[in-house]
Amino acid sequence: MSALQELTNISSTVFNPAIKSWKEAGNKVAGYVCTYVPEEIIYAAGILPYRLRPAGCTETTEADVYLHHINCSYVRSCLEYGLGGNFEFLDGLVFDNGCDHSRRLYDLWRETVHYDRPFMLYFLQVPHKVTDESIAFFRDDIAKFKDDIEKHFGVEITESKLRNAIAVYNETRSLLKRIYDLRQRERPPISGAECLNVVVAGTATPKDEYNQLLKRLLEEIQQREGISNYRARLMIVGSLLDDPAYVNIIEELGGLVVTDGLCFGSRCFWKPVESGDDLLLDLAKSYLEHPPCPRMVNTPSKRLDFVRDMVEMFEVDGIIFEHIRYCDIWGGEYYFLGNKLKELGIPVLALEKEYAIGSTEQLRTRVEAFLETIGG
Amino acid sequence: MEKKGNLLEQIADLDTARRNHIAEKYPEMLWRFEMTAKYYQRVAKAKETGEHLAWTNFAMVPEVFWAMDIIPVVVEGICSLTCQTPQQATKYIDVAEVFVPDYLCSANKTAIGAIHAGAVPPPDIMVNPSAPCDSGLMTYPLLAELYKNMSYFCIDVPYFRDERAYQYIAGELRQLMSFLEEKTGRKLDLDKLRQTVQNSSVAHDWMLRGWKLTEAIPCPVRSTDMIQDSGLLMIFAGTPELIDYAKMRYQTTKETADKKESGIGEEKIRLVWTYGVPVYDYSFYRWLEREYGAISIPGQNIFDVNVLADIDDNSDYDTILRALAEKVTFMPMSRECGGPWEYFVDRTLDICKRYKADAAIFGGHIACKHSWAIAQLVKARLYDELGIPALNIELDVFDPRMTDLDTLKAKFDDFLAML
Repeated sequence: MSALQELTNISSTVFNPAIKSWKEAGNKVAGYVCTYVPEEIIYAAGILPYRLRPAGCTETTEADVYLHHINCSYVRSCLEYGLGGNFEFLDGLVFDNGCDHSRRLYDLWRETVHYDRPFMLYFLQVPHKVTDESIAFFRDDIAKFKDDIEKHFGVEITESKLRNAIAVYNETRSLLKRIYDLRQRERPPISGAECLNVVVAGTATPKDEYNQLLKRLLEEIQQREGISNYRARLMIVGSLLDDPAYVNIIEELGGLVVTDGLCFGSRCFWKPVESGDDLLLDLAKSYLEHPPCPRMVNTPSKRLDFVRDMVEMFEVDGIIFEHIRYCDIWGGEYYFLGNKLKELGIPVLALEKEYAIGSTEQLRTRVEAFLETIGG
Repeated sequence: MEKKGNLLEQIADLDTARRNHIAEKYPEMLWRFEMTAKYYQRVAKAKETGEHLAWTNFAMVPEVFWAMDIIPVVVEGICSLTCQTPQQATKYIDVAEVFVPDYLCSANKTAIGAIHAGAVPPPDIMVNPSAPCDSGLMTYPLLAELYKNMSYFCIDVPYFRDERAYQYIAGELRQLMSFLEEKTGRKLDLDKLRQTVQNSSVAHDWMLRGWKLTEAIPCPVRSTDMIQDSGLLMIFAGTPELIDYAKMRYQTTKETADKKESGIGEEKIRLVWTYGVPVYDYSFYRWLEREYGAISIPGQNIFDVNVLADIDDNSDYDTILRALAEKVTFMPMSRECGGPWEYFVDRTLDICKRYKADAAIFGGHIACKHSWAIAQLVKARLYDELGIPALNIELDVFDPRMTDLDTLKAKFDDFLAML
């Protein structure tokens, strides 16, 4: 089986083959909701970090008993799967104050999803600013997170284990970046949908195994002729998007997605963690400084620069800005970023969506019109 | 009244007209309207007089602005006044929705729309805390962006309330003071800051004493009195005028309480509003009082403690900032909604107990994702622990189009019949 097929198999299900093997070997899995949670701490504890992803959830009947329709469909889907036992393989779950929706998921999980075994529910508070003080504050919270994991799971996270975790994760970041670099070519060897499969798989696979798959993937796709039958080179920017089928719809119409500004994408791996003497401080700094989600205040120019640099590097013809309905953070962001990109002469299509793809016709019509507008 | 142009001038004219009406018809109540009328005139004339204006948020501590001779303008306050002239508020909300999603908070949309419509002049500074909600978190940088090169500062508020958080926020406030110094070209006068915080503490003490009296049955004030008072604390805390107001409020409340009289006629039902209260039409509360003898206790608008009480003439800068930092976390809505749901439910249970609620009303502002997410949990706890029913009602506290007055009344007819 090709590396791409293996990675696609991993990303296409919740309880994927990699997790199954991991659990069968008697290992633990800890979920997390947002990319501001430093995975390295979990990995260094010998636990598999798993980004919570209710793939395939199309109804939220049970979750809607508690959540309101103005709560985002990602969070409602997560709770639905939690209540339905779809995440039974988890041994812990880490939430943070990424947004108003996800922070309440922590409360609801504690009150409504019950376990008859030890289960670690944790909340990591993440500052909204990047300053020396906020980095120090976050460092202390990461230290407490580390201590609590050690206590709960009866493990020790030594400095060498943490240093190794950072090295492994940096290798992942480097490999993913190399894959993205190939997409700068005139004929990218991998489509946007395939690439999203690859990145998503990395959030649900032991990283050592994943890195091997990425190396194989790099070799495989180098051999490819590359994709040339596209109408325009696109970048997707926005809130949580983990469904390759969504990107596939865009690509079927001829818009090749060559890069992204997604948390299930470039924003989670673009910058390596630079390690020095205080690894917890290094993690705090790196995670707060990674290409920002608009939840981070005082970062609009950084966000714009990140997208603009991507546009230049990947020779992007247009941007698709997607966000899940009722997300104040990304809904508001479009007002800022959309205007700025238009001022720069970069075409933008804004799409509001739900977590699960429903009717695709409207999406097809709008993308088709956008491609025509930008001359594709 | 000038119809086109400056919204702040229109608000000032409206408030002055109200003050003049009261002066003519009910002079004994003039003390309640004097302070805001003067304030809005001052806000409207700030550009002429050269005073600095800071647009800020209801969960911010206004003392820092008054201490720097900056006039704080609470954006949500503008909305709550504007929406009492329905065509005005909805007009700006509609303008905003051309640019931003309809599900942002209407208070924020009113400000965004008014700026887009060219209806408000730019302030000098914008300051907001990161709590309690994403809509507010996103709006202020957007507003700053709308007014090109607007000076903007965000106070980062941690999720959990503890000493470490207070020290962190105190550091944020220290940076804010430097920011205000830089933007105004004025040096912070520590004596003035200390005096301002002491003023605030005295006013809070009087207000807390007054609120304590409102726990009595019958309640000695009207529903709207308590709703309006919290808004005043959000703007005027730190001013000597608020001390006079709070003292008068206490005295008048005490007179009624001593006679064991009700502020609403015969009190038959006590409703504790556990979240938002609609402010687009205050006649609604009068209707509840008249038709059902129902007093509305705006639970979220009531302050519980005076965290500035220990500030005295010897308090140093660090101590003052530490106290103000704690106050940031105790501001209504931040207090309940800016952290885990226990903050919300524990206080809700407490205030329902203190006020001996017959029923709880969750006025679910339709933009508040964080509070709607736990509304059912809170309702269940209220029933399980206190045995009281709760009505969870969808509304927009500023925009009557979401749930108009007739619909609101119909829902209460049904709910109160059940009681």
